[in-house]
Amino acid sequence: MKEIHKKFNSRNYQLLFMAGCGAAFLLIFSYLPMFGILLSVKDGNKSLNILQAMLQSDWTLQNYVDLVADEKFWSVVWNTLGLNVLSLLVNFPAPILFALLVNEVRSKHVRKTIQTITNFPHFISWVIFGGIVIALTDMTTGVVNPVLELFGLSSPDNPVDLNMPQYFWTKMILVSFIKNVGWGSIIYIAAISGISPELYEAAIIDGAGRWDRAVKITLPMIAPTITVFLLLNISRLLGNSFEQFYVFQNSANLSKSEVLATYVYSTGFTYRNYSTAAAMSFFEGVIAVILLSTSNFISKKLAGRGLF
Amino acid sequence: MEIKRKKKFKFDIWEAVIVFVLALLALITLYPFLYTLAGSFNDGNDFELGGVWLLPRKFTLQNYATIVADGRFWVALGNTVLRTVIGTTLALLFTSGVAYGMSQKELPYKGFFRTFNLITMFFSGGIIPFFLVVNILGLYNNFLVYILPSLYSVYNMIVMQSFFRGISQNVREAAVLDGANEFRVWWSIYLPMSTPVLATVGLWIAVMHWNSYLPTLLYTDKAESIWTLQYYLMRIIKDASMPEGGLVSENVTAQTVSFAAMVLAMLPIVCVYPFLQKHFAKGAALGSVKE
Repeated sequence: MKEIHKKFNSRNYQLLFMAGCGAAFLLIFSYLPMFGILLSVKDGNKSLNILQAMLQSDWTLQNYVDLVADEKFWSVVWNTLGLNVLSLLVNFPAPILFALLVNEVRSKHVRKTIQTITNFPHFISWVIFGGIVIALTDMTTGVVNPVLELFGLSSPDNPVDLNMPQYFWTKMILVSFIKNVGWGSIIYIAAISGISPELYEAAIIDGAGRWDRAVKITLPMIAPTITVFLLLNISRLLGNSFEQFYVFQNSANLSKSEVLATYVYSTGFTYRNYSTAAAMSFFEGVIAVILLSTSNFISKKLAGRGLF
Repeated sequence: MEIKRKKKFKFDIWEAVIVFVLALLALITLYPFLYTLAGSFNDGNDFELGGVWLLPRKFTLQNYATIVADGRFWVALGNTVLRTVIGTTLALLFTSGVAYGMSQKELPYKGFFRTFNLITMFFSGGIIPFFLVVNILGLYNNFLVYILPSLYSVYNMIVMQSFFRGISQNVREAAVLDGANEFRVWWSIYLPMSTPVLATVGLWIAVMHWNSYLPTLLYTDKAESIWTLQYYLMRIIKDASMPEGGLVSENVTAQTVSFAAMVLAMLPIVCVYPFLQKHFAKGAALGSVKE
């Protein structure tokens, strides 16, 4: 004991207290919920409340057995995966491309205006943004149908019902694109502004054009940032923003709009199958860890860098 | 100089194409908000006929009057203002205190604290186990469920920590020689010197509070007294239900009334947006340094 007292002075203790407050917060609100996963090995479905489910029910592995046998669960998993892979293909490169394009505009005024407008939706809630999109895609009062008419894809007599399940994925991918492309590009634009201008000047003297400069200087220089975000995005292939999907989901589009995040919600909160829902959350967490470590491993082998 | 001037005014076809594409994207981003604004000032039955795309066709203030006469709107607004003001203040104090501790070289067990924080950015229990913790802490259906879980975020801590590390150690050492303890240094020296990062992170937290509806949906019994503004909006939009009570005019529909509610809820965001815009790029870049 004496040695510890010698090791730290009062200042050390004050700093320990400050950092410790953060650790205590995380212990309660991040680590404690990780132990809540134990609910998934309890027979706690249909309990009156979740504490009862945790404390009074018996230990069991039945939830996992049921989950593996549940066809609905697997169809939701495939739906989530399909939608998210497609979304990743569009919405991961989009901010990078956007940053490259913005970087090519020489007028600072134009750059600022475009960024001001495209960053705005990030700060609008999913409820409002979703509400607006639902209105825009309405068959009679919306704007999307008249625009489709311009391209001969719809007609006033026979308007396209954009609430049909088959359009749901496209709608989600486009909505995510509009809401996030500007904000998502900030980090890349910051990285690009950190590149030494001398590199570009030297390239111009060597006769490199716009395209060469973007591909041979800018992209390699921001590659570390790109890698970090790609790995993070891949680890979230089963995770969706619940806030986004809950707003757009309705009984008509359920076959395509049910993703793991919303399925966990309806299983746990609507039907009070707490243990089954916890098992699904655990499944999602395990897959995220596997995806992250696998992609990190591959990235280290191929590009020589990873997250950890 | 001469060459530079010439270059600036040289017309470049590719740059023109790029500007056109970006301008189109900006237009597509901006348009939905103009559509909403037009609809919010339009007669409800007239709107149903379609074709109100940019400007109100049959102008009315009835949509706004309907919302303002709805008692639930004011309760939800009150709760949201309360959680935004209290939640943001407390979260800033808490997060900056932790960030100060984490930013100092003399903090013992630094590696442990770093890892302990970073792990939570990759793994989480999910909404059901979190619900369990909310119940254990007695936060279910409690206004504090809006405040306590958002007191701290690792990402915001990292952004502040990077800023604090940029403050010269000489300043701190001078205060230490004068006998100031660490809490004093944090409060009287670091916080006043950190207004840019406090403004940035503070606005992020405030916007998060303003836009959040999840805690109301998941962790309350959804009685009207605990509604937040976004939850109120969601009920109007998803249920396509008209606000109850007060005056409901014949000239409004659920759709146009929801437009008015959305515009009212966006108003504060639009007001703080210029400040957000000014600071956020710097803040986001700070955060990326550590990531």
